[in-house]
Amino acid sequence: MQTGTLHPITQFVRELVKIFESLGFEVFEGPEVDNEWYNFDALNVPSDHPARDVQDTFWLKDGRLLRTHTSQSQVRYTEKRKPPIKVIIPGKCYRNEATDSRHETTFMQLEGLYIDKDVKIGHLLWTIEYFLKKIYGDTVEVRFRPHHYPFVEPGMDVDIKYQGKWLEVLGSGMVHPKVLRNMKIDPDKYSGFAFGLGIDRLVMLKYGIEDIRQFYSSDLKFIKQF
Amino acid sequence: MKILKSWLKDYIKIDFDNFDIANKLSISGTEVESIASFLDSNVVVGEIKDIKKHPNADRLRIATVYDGENDRTVVCGAPNIEIGQIVPLAKVGAKLGDMEIKKSEIRGIESEGMLCAEDELDLGDDHAGIMILPNEYKVGEPLNKYIESDAVFELEITPNRGDCLSHIGIAREIGALLDVSVSRTPIALEMNGTNIKDKLSIEITDEQLCPQYMARIIEDIKIGPSPKWLQERLSKLGLKPINNIVDVTNYIMFDLGQPLHAFDAEKIEGKEIVIRKGKVNETITTLDGVERKVSDDILITDVKKTIAIAGVMGGQNSEITESTTTIILESAEFNRKNIRKTAKKLGLVTEASYRFERGIDSSSVEYALNKAAKLINEIAGGQILSGVAASGKRPLNKTLDIPHNKINNFVGVSLPESEINHLLKKLDFNIKNNTCIVPLWRHDIEIWQDLAEEVARMYGYGKIKPLAIVKEKAPKKSEYFYKEALKDELVSCGFIEVLNYPYLSERDIKSIGLNTKKLLEIANPIQPENKFLRNSLTPGLIKSVAKNPAIDPVLLFEIGKVFSKDNETSKLGIIASGKNSDKLIKKAIDKLSIRFKINQKDLQILALSQQEMLKFKVRKPVAQIIEVDLDMIIRKMKASDADLNIKISNKKITYRPISKFPVVARDLAFIVDKDLVFGKIEEAIQETSEFVNRVELFDEFASDKFGVNKKNLAYHIYLQHPEKTMTDKEAEEIIKKIITDIESKFNAKLRK
Repeated sequence: MQTGTLHPITQFVRELVKIFESLGFEVFEGPEVDNEWYNFDALNVPSDHPARDVQDTFWLKDGRLLRTHTSQSQVRYTEKRKPPIKVIIPGKCYRNEATDSRHETTFMQLEGLYIDKDVKIGHLLWTIEYFLKKIYGDTVEVRFRPHHYPFVEPGMDVDIKYQGKWLEVLGSGMVHPKVLRNMKIDPDKYSGFAFGLGIDRLVMLKYGIEDIRQFYSSDLKFIKQF
Repeated sequence: MKILKSWLKDYIKIDFDNFDIANKLSISGTEVESIASFLDSNVVVGEIKDIKKHPNADRLRIATVYDGENDRTVVCGAPNIEIGQIVPLAKVGAKLGDMEIKKSEIRGIESEGMLCAEDELDLGDDHAGIMILPNEYKVGEPLNKYIESDAVFELEITPNRGDCLSHIGIAREIGALLDVSVSRTPIALEMNGTNIKDKLSIEITDEQLCPQYMARIIEDIKIGPSPKWLQERLSKLGLKPINNIVDVTNYIMFDLGQPLHAFDAEKIEGKEIVIRKGKVNETITTLDGVERKVSDDILITDVKKTIAIAGVMGGQNSEITESTTTIILESAEFNRKNIRKTAKKLGLVTEASYRFERGIDSSSVEYALNKAAKLINEIAGGQILSGVAASGKRPLNKTLDIPHNKINNFVGVSLPESEINHLLKKLDFNIKNNTCIVPLWRHDIEIWQDLAEEVARMYGYGKIKPLAIVKEKAPKKSEYFYKEALKDELVSCGFIEVLNYPYLSERDIKSIGLNTKKLLEIANPIQPENKFLRNSLTPGLIKSVAKNPAIDPVLLFEIGKVFSKDNETSKLGIIASGKNSDKLIKKAIDKLSIRFKINQKDLQILALSQQEMLKFKVRKPVAQIIEVDLDMIIRKMKASDADLNIKISNKKITYRPISKFPVVARDLAFIVDKDLVFGKIEEAIQETSEFVNRVELFDEFASDKFGVNKKNLAYHIYLQHPEKTMTDKEAEEIIKKIITDIESKFNAKLRK
């Protein structure tokens, strides 16, 4: 008689899936353990480049790693398909970071990827504004700031205005030609955009949750509120 | 990285507002994390209301100063104060440099603050008397509202923009944003007759490792402390001034982004410096006193020994000391990848290596050397030998075509060619016809998309028109949707979804007596006890039960990945523990098997004994657990008519932080109309008080004994205060309010 509860992260991912399904995006889930190629090199993050240091990685004894971002599945998904590519990739990611109320070693991301003929920056702006408004309401203010992610060019961070302050909610950009080539797609014929967002932080924002570690606490006092 | 406003003014000749420029920098890609002003907001505009003699000290006086709210007694030694003056008052708690103003007794009189002279506020050098402010300043306002002091911008510089790791680099960005030119003063050096050629030559064995290396010699210098202005600039960046030579090399690095190194010339043997790759098993003791093993790293050597690890750290054997009189000043460019490799290998990331691996301004190696030499000459005296000892050469500038149409199309704008060219020119790209010459500090510009980004960020993303994308066809339903349908079914049977970490702890492994041979192991775990990845969801689920001792029964599930050395699979784990758990899990299994045509024998329930449970500190008598392969379930589901539409709950959620204070539990039952939805009352109870943490229905029962068309609804109500333990009296009041509210709102009656 008493119904159970879906984890708040599951519920939030569902909202995003529903929005992106309505725009024609498929859902794909890649492996959590992967090799260096898909997680870094294929995304234009070679080991001899300082951009590697931005993400603290859990390396496995066999030389593989725990994926540090869902971007790792971009090339995995696309190399076996032909454009148009329209996919979102939700999944758990891992970083070797000290934990506190804002940082976790385990967290959920959602990646979006759209590749077709003549995809422009304007399409990226529209898509991101569209889903942020669906989630935070039509009046939410959104701004794009240039940022460096080696797998996109140009790259942008996206902020929303929250309680009078700009708050970073996701990273995005136009897929780098080197990455398109690694996907076996001709960058002279196709272009595309990608974005990645940290689900945990957005759920925290939505409900005013103060500690990211709650999500993995199995504390039913917490989960049953959703 | 820290950038000082006063330092930027060496390059930006117009005035700018801190917050405006921070915003402009942020939205053009150089994120400003914070701005710290050196004038504390606790320094306010005060008015001197009264002055009395100090009873115990001739030179001191006691001023009564109004701070906008109160009259404060302040003991003051300055001779220039008079009644009616408007003055800076540092209130108790204000920070002036390293000093914090505290209430203190001065010769028997308590002083509640300090009146300040110019130098105490870092606004000038005057210490002769208290600063007298104009009468227009409003008493009580923070002084920094009227007087601008120096400010430090804390910036996040992304790894592609090594050129922004200096004051001139940030000045260039600001110049482009404000459309003002940024220029640096040409350096005129006074050199004496002796030519450096007779004393030093440079040899680079491989220009791949070191494209350019330059050195100057300065003789007869006197080591000593740096002048105040130089020390202040460094201290404001958080650096400790050391001596005039080291300070200058640091200063130039933060000024121009060029790391420099100074050797004591008398400790260099022979007349030649050679830049070469190291050999196996060479060692050098670096400036930090550590003996380091080097191998194929780039080394700076004299004829006999290694004197520095190039681009990372100098050697102790050629260090500047108080008795140094002649220095060799080095300015060079090293291969970015080699420096990165060395710094990583040695675990020695220095300000120098950080800049070299991100790329320095290849066109300013000589300029930086000359600027440093000139400054050393000014503050440490001596003579600069004429000429530069040098080898290698400045690399050629990259040239890129500007595909105006492609850029317009890609960005989604239609800018005239001249506008695109102008935006690039502001960033010091040299435009010739349809090509541009990339400045030698921009190592990140390689392809036309990089130019498109420069154009877009200078034009402003806010001005680019969003373009809608359309759905051409319905996307196909992947495994994800089956997983979600499965979750819905479990939730409808009362199960709660949890997410656990993917690690197995050493204790888990011991508890279950697991062989670790097949487990996947993390090479660099954050906690050594969590080095194995889970091969099963079960330990995590049992621990999840243990974490909820107050809840009975506990019904949980998790869908997640498990790992072994040769594969990664998805699993569904279900656990039930406590009252009636055997029946509840059985019911769920029945439902799943009917709904999704799953064979019951594929959903084997395993009963865990009390003993097994105790290993995980679970005190409930028994638990039932199922762990099955998710792919198998999904295969079966595909043959059923599972509803794959995503369901979104429209439950109104008001999140209440989890308090560490105890929960007070009360049960209430109400007799209500039969068709009243139980959730309505649940919501109403939640809204009664902010201390209602959770409401749970535990019984719903219709019977005529409650009256015609009536039913009984019974709830567990959990009350909790976020900041203290709730008293019985407080709980009683909330419960009383709930009863009155529910009875009046829903025509309900409390069942006693």
